Amino acid sequence: MAPTVAAVIAAAAFAAPLYWMLISALRPEKDIFAYLFPLSSQGFLPATWTIANFTDLLDTGFLSTTGNSLLVAAVTTVGGLAIAIPSAFALSVLRFRFRRVLFAIIVLSFSVPFDVVAVPLSGVFRDWNLDNTYTGLILPGLGNGFAIFLLRQFFLAVPLSLQEAARLDGATWWRIMWGIYVPLSRPAIIGAALIIFTNQWQAYLWPLLVAPDPKMQLAPIALANLSNLYEVHMGQIFAGSVILAVIPGAILFATQRFFVRSISATGATG
Amino acid sequence: MRNDMRALIRAFRRGGRPPRRYPEWLTALLFLSPALLSLALFRLYPAVKSAMDSLTVSPEANTGFAGLSNYRYLFGSNGFHQAVTATIKIVAIAVAVQTVSALALAALLNVRSWGTAAWRTLIVVPIAVPLAVSSVVFGIAYRPDGPLNALVVAFGLSKQPFLGSDVQAPLALVVALSWVGVGYWMVFLIAGLQDIPKQLTEAAAVDGAGATRTFFSITLPLLRRPLAFVIVANTVANVLVFAPSQILTQGGPAGSTRVVMYDIYTRAFTLGDTGAASAEIVLLLIVMLALVGAQLRLLGGWGR
Repeated sequence: MAPTVAAVIAAAAFAAPLYWMLISALRPEKDIFAYLFPLSSQGFLPATWTIANFTDLLDTGFLSTTGNSLLVAAVTTVGGLAIAIPSAFALSVLRFRFRRVLFAIIVLSFSVPFDVVAVPLSGVFRDWNLDNTYTGLILPGLGNGFAIFLLRQFFLAVPLSLQEAARLDGATWWRIMWGIYVPLSRPAIIGAALIIFTNQWQAYLWPLLVAPDPKMQLAPIALANLSNLYEVHMGQIFAGSVILAVIPGAILFATQRFFVRSISATGATG
Repeated sequence: MRNDMRALIRAFRRGGRPPRRYPEWLTALLFLSPALLSLALFRLYPAVKSAMDSLTVSPEANTGFAGLSNYRYLFGSNGFHQAVTATIKIVAIAVAVQTVSALALAALLNVRSWGTAAWRTLIVVPIAVPLAVSSVVFGIAYRPDGPLNALVVAFGLSKQPFLGSDVQAPLALVVALSWVGVGYWMVFLIAGLQDIPKQLTEAAAVDGAGATRTFFSITLPLLRRPLAFVIVANTVANVLVFAPSQILTQGGPAGSTRVVMYDIYTRAFTLGDTGAASAEIVLLLIVMLALVGAQLRLLGGWGR
């Protein structure tokens, strides 16, 4: 009994900020800080519901920054897989000298969180005229050490007999990768895609540095800027927060088991 | 290599076209080239550039070589000391709080009982929330007239300053970090718990050990490796913390949340001191390489 009570309390504590975000986004702005001193039941459950905060938020151009974020995260995921899959294949299936050294170098350098070199790289990207471009936002997120690591572990587990048979039939390595390894590793590929996606969706420092132009801004930066405006609209901030949490939340919920498996295998944080 | 040669010779003897097969190392190079290219351009190049800048760019010297003056300046600067202190403090508290709560929650939710899956999901869901969003939302919650102070007052205490106090602000940041962080480590540790053979804990129970005793003498020692990984990986995740400092406190009050990444950011963009910022990046990079190296060793899977 006691463990269940403890579990319920913990779950409630973690859910509380989400619940507060949601009800604050869905109630009239003037009600957000009402009912708190003294704390009354209406503080926990709105008497009036409205979607005005969301419609007002759309007028600020938040939708286009959310679109930017989605586009950048989607392209990064596809491009990141296109880099990670052949790398992991070469590092697990192909035999060549220095393979282990190369694996160590690649995974080590891509596992150091990219933010550490974000400041110098943003200067470089300005020189290359890549600031305020989608290309500039996407490029640094493509290489992901944990995605390569996860895929390599799956590829190593594929029986060698399969590729040997394909080799005898004259298949190229390219075909062996796409025809044998990729279809057999679907859970790992979904896991790797999730690692790359959440990484890019949660990025803050890089998009702040490389895309300050309001047209190219990503949503988390636009959200943080909303609270620095002369006139702060709490309701809109909550509506934006809900949007930015619901999109990855829905994706993770739909792919929960792959995600859980990829965390268990790599411990990769977004 | 030798097999390729043989195939080639055989093909010529048959008089047919030689099989178009590259040597394996060349295939490997082709497959790895996008990763190696992006590694060189977006990781190595800026790191090398920072190292160069730290040794050459200096406000005083125009000779093109500044020696270690940027490092000397950095070590003598008050801001850098503040940054290192604030970072170590926040990382240490965050790692301790998150590891202990993740372990407690993992132990609590590893047993199958009523609603376990639902409780687990509720704790894992916040990991989808971007840290910038968590920072913004907690920033509002910490306001003097916000809901947290409403709870404090409802319990009969006086209002707390939260982000306005140099004692409470680092802790307030840790809460915003932990809300979105604990779920990851819990999932990782639940996987570790499930790797422990049931016979061991059952045997302990047969021998009359209670749940607490079993946890501390059987489960915990067997969980040493995943726990070590969580501690290192969590340190890596928190050392570069930036968004909460920039969004919530701008490093204040009294420099209590002026973390290293925020210090670098202000040096580079507010003060325009590229030399010192580069020196700080180089130092941070060395620390990160050591931490990530340890993290990957603990992850295993390096064989073959």
